[in-house]
Amino acid sequence: MAKMRDYTADKESFKNFFIDFCQTDDEGHKNFKYAEQLTKVAHREQTAFVVELDDLHETNDELAEAVRQNTRRYTNMVSDVVYEMLPDYKHREVAAKDALDVYIEHRIMLEARNHRIPGEMRDPRNRYPPELIRRFEVYFKDLSTSKSVPIREVKAEHIGKLVTVRGIVTRCTDVKPLLVVATYSCSACGTETYQPVKALQFTPPPACTADECRLNKTAGQLHLQTRGSRFQKFQELKIQEHSDQVPVGHIPRQLSVYCRGETTRRAQPGDHVAVTGVFLPLLNAGFRQIVQGLLSDTYLEAHGVTCLNQSDESEMAEALTEEELSELADEDLYSRMARSLAPEIYGHEDVKKALLLLLVGGVDKHPNGMKIRGNINICLMGDPGVAKSQLLNYIDRLAPRSQYTTGRGSSGVGLTAAVMKDPFTGEMMLEGGALVLADQGVCCIDEFDKMADNDRTAIHEVMEQQTISIAKAGIMTCLNARVSILAAANPAYGRYNPKRTLEQNIQLPAALLSRFDLLWLIQDKPNREKDLELAKHIAYVHQHSSQPPSEVRALPMRLVRRYVALTKRKQPVVPTALADYIVSSYVELRREARNARDVTFTSARNLLAILRLSTALARLRLSDVVEKEDVAEAIRLVDMSKQSLQHVEENVQRGISATDRIFAIVRDLAGPNKTVKVADVIERCVDKGFKPDQVDACIEEYENLNVWQVNQVRTKITFM
Amino acid sequence: MHDTMSDFENVTPDLWMANEVIWKDRLLKLPNWYQIPLINSNASHNLPDSTLVRFRGMIQDMHNPEFYFEQFEVYNIITKETKRKTGKFRDTAHILENEKINYTENLKSAQRQTMVVVSLPGLNEWAQQLEDRKNHLKHLEQQPNTSKRLSNSTKLKRSYDEADEDSDAMEVVDNETVTSKEPKTIESVNNTTNVVSREHLLNFPLPDVPSKSCIVKIYDDSDNLKLNDMIEVVGFLSVDPSLSGEFQNQKNPLLEPDIENEVETITHNPPPSLVPRLHAVYVKKLEHCNPLVNNFDQGTVLKEANMAREHLLKALTELLLGDGLAAEYLICHLIACVYLRQDALTLGQFCLNLSNVPMKKYPKYAQQLYDVIKQFVTKSYYLPLTIDNMNTLTLLPKKDYECNRLTSGVLQLSKNTHLVIDETRMEQGRLDAAGVGNVTALANMITTQKVEYDFKYYKMEFDSDISVFILSEGKSLLPSDYHLPLRPEESSLEIFDAIVEAATYYLKEEIMNVIRSYLTNIKLVKYTISEDLQFVEEDFIEMRSKSDSENPVTADDLHRLLVLARLVSLSRGFDTLNKECWDITKKMEAERLQRLKNRIASTL
Repeated sequence: MAKMRDYTADKESFKNFFIDFCQTDDEGHKNFKYAEQLTKVAHREQTAFVVELDDLHETNDELAEAVRQNTRRYTNMVSDVVYEMLPDYKHREVAAKDALDVYIEHRIMLEARNHRIPGEMRDPRNRYPPELIRRFEVYFKDLSTSKSVPIREVKAEHIGKLVTVRGIVTRCTDVKPLLVVATYSCSACGTETYQPVKALQFTPPPACTADECRLNKTAGQLHLQTRGSRFQKFQELKIQEHSDQVPVGHIPRQLSVYCRGETTRRAQPGDHVAVTGVFLPLLNAGFRQIVQGLLSDTYLEAHGVTCLNQSDESEMAEALTEEELSELADEDLYSRMARSLAPEIYGHEDVKKALLLLLVGGVDKHPNGMKIRGNINICLMGDPGVAKSQLLNYIDRLAPRSQYTTGRGSSGVGLTAAVMKDPFTGEMMLEGGALVLADQGVCCIDEFDKMADNDRTAIHEVMEQQTISIAKAGIMTCLNARVSILAAANPAYGRYNPKRTLEQNIQLPAALLSRFDLLWLIQDKPNREKDLELAKHIAYVHQHSSQPPSEVRALPMRLVRRYVALTKRKQPVVPTALADYIVSSYVELRREARNARDVTFTSARNLLAILRLSTALARLRLSDVVEKEDVAEAIRLVDMSKQSLQHVEENVQRGISATDRIFAIVRDLAGPNKTVKVADVIERCVDKGFKPDQVDACIEEYENLNVWQVNQVRTKITFM
Repeated sequence: MHDTMSDFENVTPDLWMANEVIWKDRLLKLPNWYQIPLINSNASHNLPDSTLVRFRGMIQDMHNPEFYFEQFEVYNIITKETKRKTGKFRDTAHILENEKINYTENLKSAQRQTMVVVSLPGLNEWAQQLEDRKNHLKHLEQQPNTSKRLSNSTKLKRSYDEADEDSDAMEVVDNETVTSKEPKTIESVNNTTNVVSREHLLNFPLPDVPSKSCIVKIYDDSDNLKLNDMIEVVGFLSVDPSLSGEFQNQKNPLLEPDIENEVETITHNPPPSLVPRLHAVYVKKLEHCNPLVNNFDQGTVLKEANMAREHLLKALTELLLGDGLAAEYLICHLIACVYLRQDALTLGQFCLNLSNVPMKKYPKYAQQLYDVIKQFVTKSYYLPLTIDNMNTLTLLPKKDYECNRLTSGVLQLSKNTHLVIDETRMEQGRLDAAGVGNVTALANMITTQKVEYDFKYYKMEFDSDISVFILSEGKSLLPSDYHLPLRPEESSLEIFDAIVEAATYYLKEEIMNVIRSYLTNIKLVKYTISEDLQFVEEDFIEMRSKSDSENPVTADDLHRLLVLARLVSLSRGFDTLNKECWDITKKMEAERLQRLKNRIASTL
């Protein structure tokens, strides 16, 4: 305490600040914020007098800092200042609101009458403790720039300072009256004694201390006057750290928050809250003092309690830092982020890309009142043990709002909504199921195929209309379920049977399957190169107890989550120039579907899927316009997903052989002009999943059949 | 030597604080700490307040930090003197009746962390006995602690005391502090309503197991201490009976809003006779708790490994009815521990499921096998998987906001605890919601080695390292890493009871001790894999090429092989992977898969 602050000067600056501070709104009107508040307080229309430190910082940043460091003192000071200023802002008589008002008025008048002795200039209100007469409460609002302190970090050095913490309310007491000023009257002389109560407990004075009693030595009994005492609303909250603030292997910590007056009844158990308050020690009195006299409990004296929505939680709201941005400023952010999903699962890059796009989501459209969903639905199929559930689990953990359920474990009611009877009021009320709870998020449904048929029908509506209609027990309503569905299904007979169609294999109706934008069949087939890579990868993990460094380091989950949140702010549009491209691609898809013995169903829904995927890709680039590459990538993904289903067919060597299919490709490529470059053929065929030697074999076979001729250097094919 | 020891016996918090650095240095230089009383082995009621003691256990819960007065002034009303005092390493202010604490000036607050430490759950009898033998201090019992017993101690009636048989432990009276206490506070006690069971206060993870617990206050930085860590604490004992929350004054509910409710107060301030307070001067993290392993030397451990392995293999082969392969797998299981955790990947867990247990002939086979296993390992727990158990037991720890503490569950175990699940006890029946939750929790723990603690508003995952061994008739309903059907030999099957007897005879104390230290030591060995793993890669590719839809070979299989290879090498005393061990591993797995394929119907 080398340099004591000049508190009288501070008091003066507060006074001026309240008088002078004004903000100019958009229309140029001057808005005297604090003067207005003072007027309201003077007329008892408002109880809380809130000083925003942002405003104070604007005019006097040094004072604002001082307030943050020593909040309690300044609370009292501002309280004094406001009290002094109030008479100036009182423009009319205020009707007494409650008994205490009448009481105070009465006492002030009485006091003025009793002491009308000439020469004694004293303010009649002085004898009363200020807390009794002041009917307002002063609160500070923390700077909007100040970061919230994790509960764990609130330590001894924060005592007396204004801190903002976030947490979840685990317990709150009833709101109870807390004595602020106790008024006693003496049984002997009738004098009233006032006792301001600062702590949670108090000891009543043993005997009357008024002059009369003291001189007469009557030692009158004091009786507590409930009507003349002032009480304040009081509530105690316990808040607990969020799970992401707790270091690994530690128990979440808690903090007591004392709310008084206007800050009470702001939160309920389970709410996520941000509390601004002064961190203070609490001295134990009475028994605890003797036993544990060496301990002091601590609490946070609330200055403001705000409930946070799940969606605008801290980490979403905070902007990305420089470091994080530089980490994201990667050339190929798309594949890197995709690879960061479930990094422990090796490979499956396209699936992961699709899942990333599901997280980002496409743009919702509302042309002429029609609603076209932007959410992307994906179904993963595959033999048991190909990490489907792990992928689902990871997405469930990553997505900010998500529900994980299994088809077997949830009934239709568990997914949609149930009508419950309130045990207290007997009223019917709706309780949301997994799909409703995951609104604006992801609903992961494992073992989709195991779901009972009538339960599955509930999903039809959700997947296209994104709503749930309910007609139960007299409640008819429509709930929003703007949810992306990520389903995982096992083949019907334990393994994917390539001889059967898709619908037969999964035992899901085509109506439902077509609602999925992408269907992936994850298969695990031996392949020498990939296996070697995998073996190397695993061996490395075992050798060095870490992931190989050469690979792109996975982005931390938190960063991915925040980046995805960031991308959702963008609403990219498809420029008209691209329309032709998209249309022609779609026509191509349809044509292929007609030609090839297609196992999937190509419909207009596929076109929408491509649009959704491309908008999601544009979002991922944080762009406002969809570009041709986005569409190309979207088509590639759709194509790959189809191929993942078709690969199966090739395996059984049934129907059209590989050679025949390559021939078809060559014929298409050649078109009317009858010649085609071999390089083009190979490129196209490799794209479609054929191997170069297969292509060579095909070229040779048809050359022998004299269907076409190949030139000497074998670069060009000409049809006969 | 003896000199320094007696110093430690007589050191007080004040002496310690006067020269903290030197004391700590001396403590660390002590060759062993046997002379500092270990509360696990010596009853705390034989020890006076503020003596330096030790406690060994697992961190069960962490409370909010406390703010205590590091320095404060005391003013004597009569002599008008002021004295500076400190609240470090103690709970009560040692003030006299006419002294007052100056709460307004010269007060320095500091923070200390409170943790609940319980004695190691599942610590086996042999380990406890060895520990006791080493640490038991006879002279403590002979101390005539009754002579200084306080006259008003008879008034200290605690509701649960009367029912408790162990009255000796309850008559705790300490010597120094009591004299300075105002007797008034004790007389005004009103404790008729607050009956809280002993189990509730001790909060031990495992039911029906005697345990001790301590509230440890840690002054140094405690961030590296995690829940479920094994620690050894050296600190000052504090057993002032007035610390019990049951002696709380009645409050005036109108004038004094509840800060803590009553249950919370009682739970957080249990009688110190039951739960002593310990003010830590030094906290040591323990890697293991085997009293036989003191100095770890990798070279000797590896050299002697094979010998111990032979003994163990012989005994286990007999006990597993002549099935050598099962014995090999069981050895690997016994020396397995988690050694890598990264993102969602956990390596090293080795959940063994032994099916085809001859339960028709020997319904208690699992129990008998466990009785032998528990002689080998330091910490284990036998969990019969019955419908009733699943429905009634609490497996997952849960935060109790009423009492504001973490109520423990069976799965709150420290690392390297062996959980033996006996599924042969399972019968048909109906699992209720709790039962389903418990089975899922077990399954999750086995696959990911993570236990989800319930914090009501959210769940938090805590890493665990619990080796699970499942004995079942058919394939277990719980997942497992290695499933092996037991193939008993007819001849052994007939004479199992005789085998058990012979095994007990064969496993003499010396051999036992060799095996015991072997099992702990091997876990501490640092294992490396050389860069050249060509043979592994080649084999994997070959396996993949042979794989078909009936016998798929996936990345998981390679992980499994490498984990097994690690244990096969280690068990044989190699700290690196060589071709030989790899081939043994492959053979073991091949044989196991072969058995799984032509799983024969239970022969019995």
